Amino acid sequence: MIIPFGWMILTSFKTVTEATQIPVVIFPAHPDWSSYAKAFEKSDFTHYYLNTAFAALMKTLFPVIFSSMAAYAFARIRFPGRTLLFFIIISVMMVPNPVFYTPQYLLMSKWGLVNTVTALWICSLVSPFATFMLRQFFLGISKELEEAAILDGCNPFQTFRYIMLPLVKSALVAIVIIQLLWSWNELQWPLIINSSPDKLTLSSGLATLVSMFGTNYPVLMAGAIMAVIPMILLFFIFQKRFIEGVAFSAHKG
Amino acid sequence: MNSRSRYVWAYAMIAPTLIGTVLFWSWPAIYSIYLSFLKSENFGMINHWIGLANYEKLFKDKEFWKNLRNTLYYTVLFVPVTLVFSTLFAVLLNAKIKGQSVYRVIFFLPQVTMPAAAAMVWIVLFAHDYGLINFVLGTDVAWISDKHFAMIALVIVGVWGAIGFNMLLILAGLQGIPRSLYEAGEIDGAVGLRKFRYITLPLLTPTLFFTTVVLMIGATQIFDSIYLLIGKTNVALPAVRSLVYAYYQNSFVYYDQNYGAAIVDILLIINLILTGVQFAFQKKWVVYD
Repeated sequence: MIIPFGWMILTSFKTVTEATQIPVVIFPAHPDWSSYAKAFEKSDFTHYYLNTAFAALMKTLFPVIFSSMAAYAFARIRFPGRTLLFFIIISVMMVPNPVFYTPQYLLMSKWGLVNTVTALWICSLVSPFATFMLRQFFLGISKELEEAAILDGCNPFQTFRYIMLPLVKSALVAIVIIQLLWSWNELQWPLIINSSPDKLTLSSGLATLVSMFGTNYPVLMAGAIMAVIPMILLFFIFQKRFIEGVAFSAHKG
Repeated sequence: MNSRSRYVWAYAMIAPTLIGTVLFWSWPAIYSIYLSFLKSENFGMINHWIGLANYEKLFKDKEFWKNLRNTLYYTVLFVPVTLVFSTLFAVLLNAKIKGQSVYRVIFFLPQVTMPAAAAMVWIVLFAHDYGLINFVLGTDVAWISDKHFAMIALVIVGVWGAIGFNMLLILAGLQGIPRSLYEAGEIDGAVGLRKFRYITLPLLTPTLFFTTVVLMIGATQIFDSIYLLIGKTNVALPAVRSLVYAYYQNSFVYYDQNYGAAIVDILLIINLILTGVQFAFQKKWVVYD
């Protein structure tokens, strides 16, 4: 399972010849860092990073805020049309993602957003998946605290913000991590919507590094390592919550 | 507070998600179906209604049937292999062994790795002359450019990436099985594999069902690893090209977005059928208590 990671690291410190030598060279004779600098110098790597980080932030922040509000309303307030509106939102979860891409592309081109950083995140301002998952969490919380808040004269938003939201903190953390991870690694949409070098993400940018550096594997591996480091760190720090979040979604299906 | 103003609050709180969903997801899904009945010119400025012509062309297209076959072939290989390995590792990790969390992290690492980065190292590992895999196995196979092996390479990379997540789901399912059942089973003489076969497996079926449905939906949408690992000029591409890859090519390389829309609409129907069949057969093998 971890051999590919080891190989990635070893290769990034090799010379170009060592990387493609026969018989295979496992450990580089004189490990050097220069490939890391080269990936930055000879490509728009800094742009890839900034675009990816910005888009991932937007695709996490907005959906989490909007979804938690909607999820609370769906779980806790009875109002006319509740079932139908919830059905409208979750029904898109059944549709394979590529089905959305052409119409979304046409919409972006109508709004003049093709080849902009905005196009990377604007279609993901809301998340039916996060709404569904958070609703499950809210459904699992006992009603008593909430009733006390209502008696004290809190309006539904205040009840949500001050009483209920703190109770689902761990679910929020899990969703934040899942959204970040998914946005960071997403390939197909960035590939479709942006083609100019300074608008690419790490994911789509790495694909162009291949055509730039051909078989200069040390530079490619250095780029790959730098692209995965933020998510691996995030995973290590929030490992427990992350795994809980995944395990939870299995149970509630 | 009266119910009228509670309603207003509720609508206000769901409004952003509802509007966003309809604008960015529901409407595009419907529009995609509409697009497949059109012939567009001038980048979608002029549209003619051509009825089922795109679908007719699709069904007569030999390449489409090949792509469909490839997609289903990948699914048929990938799903069972992932399920078996994920279950195996989950059972092993469920036994009280030292350093459990270290193993969980190791299995989960591929899941958090960017597909583009993972694909790069796999290209090096699979390389014909200087690749580690041929070196270790002593084989002489052009893994990703031989049409007989390219699909296997894709399945290996797919399974490697999927085990972590699915193992966790199954592990969560295993931990939900009450200890007392095993104790009762032991009294009745269930040991080793029999314990697994008659106690663990039946109680795990709801988790396995959920996992299978999710895995299948994901597998039919395979695109990233074909794009990254095989690449557009590879001679093995026709042997692995999936429906989503063909959709991408037709819509955004050849700019025939109507034909592309027809391809993904077929994928939508396939997914609805596969999920429907799964739910229909659920009764046959899934045990709910």
